[in-house]
Amino acid sequence: MGKFAIFQFYALLRREVQEHRNLFIGAPAVVALLILVASIWVITRIDQQQLAEGLRYVSVVFDGLSPFDMAPFFMLLAIPFFLTLFICSVIYLINTLYQDRKEMSVLFWQSMPVSNLQTVISKIVAISVVAPIFYVLIIFAMYLVAMIWLTILGITHDVDLVGIGWMFLAAIVSLILTYLSAIVTSLWLLPTIGWLLLFSAFARKTPLLWSVGVFILVGFLEDFIFGTQYLGNWVASRTADPNQYLIFEFSSLFERIFDYDTLFGVLVGSILIAGAVFMRRFID
Amino acid sequence: MTNIVEAKGLSKTYGSFTALDGVDLSIPSGAISGLIGPNGAGKTTTLKALTGLCDVEGELSVAGRDPRRARHKLMEDVCFIADVGILPKWLKVFQVIDYVEAVHPRFDRVKADKFLGTTDIPSNKRIKDLSKGMVTQLHLALVMAIEVQLLVLDEPTLGLDIIYRKEFYDRLLNDYYDGNRTIIISTHQVEEIETLLSHLVFINKGKIVLDSLMTELSEIYFEVLVAPDKLGQADALGPIHVREFLGKKSYTYESVPRAQLAELGELHTPSVADLFVAKMKEAKNG
Repeated sequence: MGKFAIFQFYALLRREVQEHRNLFIGAPAVVALLILVASIWVITRIDQQQLAEGLRYVSVVFDGLSPFDMAPFFMLLAIPFFLTLFICSVIYLINTLYQDRKEMSVLFWQSMPVSNLQTVISKIVAISVVAPIFYVLIIFAMYLVAMIWLTILGITHDVDLVGIGWMFLAAIVSLILTYLSAIVTSLWLLPTIGWLLLFSAFARKTPLLWSVGVFILVGFLEDFIFGTQYLGNWVASRTADPNQYLIFEFSSLFERIFDYDTLFGVLVGSILIAGAVFMRRFID
Repeated sequence: MTNIVEAKGLSKTYGSFTALDGVDLSIPSGAISGLIGPNGAGKTTTLKALTGLCDVEGELSVAGRDPRRARHKLMEDVCFIADVGILPKWLKVFQVIDYVEAVHPRFDRVKADKFLGTTDIPSNKRIKDLSKGMVTQLHLALVMAIEVQLLVLDEPTLGLDIIYRKEFYDRLLNDYYDGNRTIIISTHQVEEIETLLSHLVFINKGKIVLDSLMTELSEIYFEVLVAPDKLGQADALGPIHVREFLGKKSYTYESVPRAQLAELGELHTPSVADLFVAKMKEAKNG
């Protein structure tokens, strides 16, 4: 890939962030703010003596623990952000190829020397690689505020928070794991990404309704004609257990990526994405 | 003279509606070509086909490429302004310029900034907050800063007042056109671009009804203000259109020898607007 092509692709990603800054930055920022405000609200209602004891307990429990052992605890704190990212991704993917056709700006985008494949790939990279960076940075900022606040509470309650440094390290490890989890989840959910993009590129109206409606119809036909529920079971297997979305240890990363189920999903997702590129080319 | 656009038998249907019905078209390199037609004639579909924005049947070559195969490559040599409404409304002016600078290898930022410096467009405003005239100026600034072989304009001044319309075409002619580039302008406001054109195409109901160099028009088409005693003779020569003008009858002819027509009365070349009406009525009357 030449230097210009990289510069070009960067511009496509920047455009996505500019257009969808509410989904990429606004939504996680609001979640972080709500968590901080809720935490402050709870702590200001705790008895001061109990609070001091709690701070001492936290300090002792985390002191000397490996950041890798503590990381899963912090990853659980990231779950609201994960859910937010999931919802924002669905909103983004179902609208991204539809909205510019609706407002006719597609003619401007397509009057530039950028292929439909580049456009579609940039949208997938934007939501599955770039958006999680913003989410992780915002979680980091939230942790930083929380740590500073804990330190102030420690000082004002005369508690030596010896474990806070370890906590901070654990938080950073958890953020790296959270980011990797988001990437692997995107690979794992590539069929969903492809399905949503396909209908975003195809539907003339209400793309979400189309994508859900056709899915239900295909599932119904499978059941009616073949008497099987592979499609429904496949989707259920991808939504039933939240643990499937999170990677708590670096050692399980490759195992998750090179899992048969993930690779099959990547194959199906790639076919659907190719369909979205095709639709983008021929729907006018 | 080589042709930058060569199309043979272009066809396109939308359901039961035939937008293009076997269009044959040749546009010479370096021409300013007007694609004129009434609303729904197939102008936009033709231009979208030329720029690879819609799929058509038939043979098509634009700047030596087939737009259906590699639109993004073609767009390095072709610029397209659809109409004033298509710039993304959520983008800020400087963001649009940043974007085009990043994705177009032939964009000259200095030129664009220089052009914008002559306008009142604030770089920090969103497109949705600009007037229609400003959006057109911005789009023109982008296009003028891109070094391409072919510029395609689809109703570029639609909805603009006369001052912006005039300024748009003045700048296009004085600051952009250098005799080597080709410009295709589609419009149904014939009078507005008549003086700019070197090549003319009329389209109606998806069919090309005229494709000619402007210099050839004066050799092919004639309008005669026929003397009252020569009406029978005038009718016999097969006019393509007859209209009343200041109490007299004006006849429009195609490919009838000048010497024969000179005997009928005052002879002159019809204006593009008059020729357009004549050809549209001829098509309507079969």
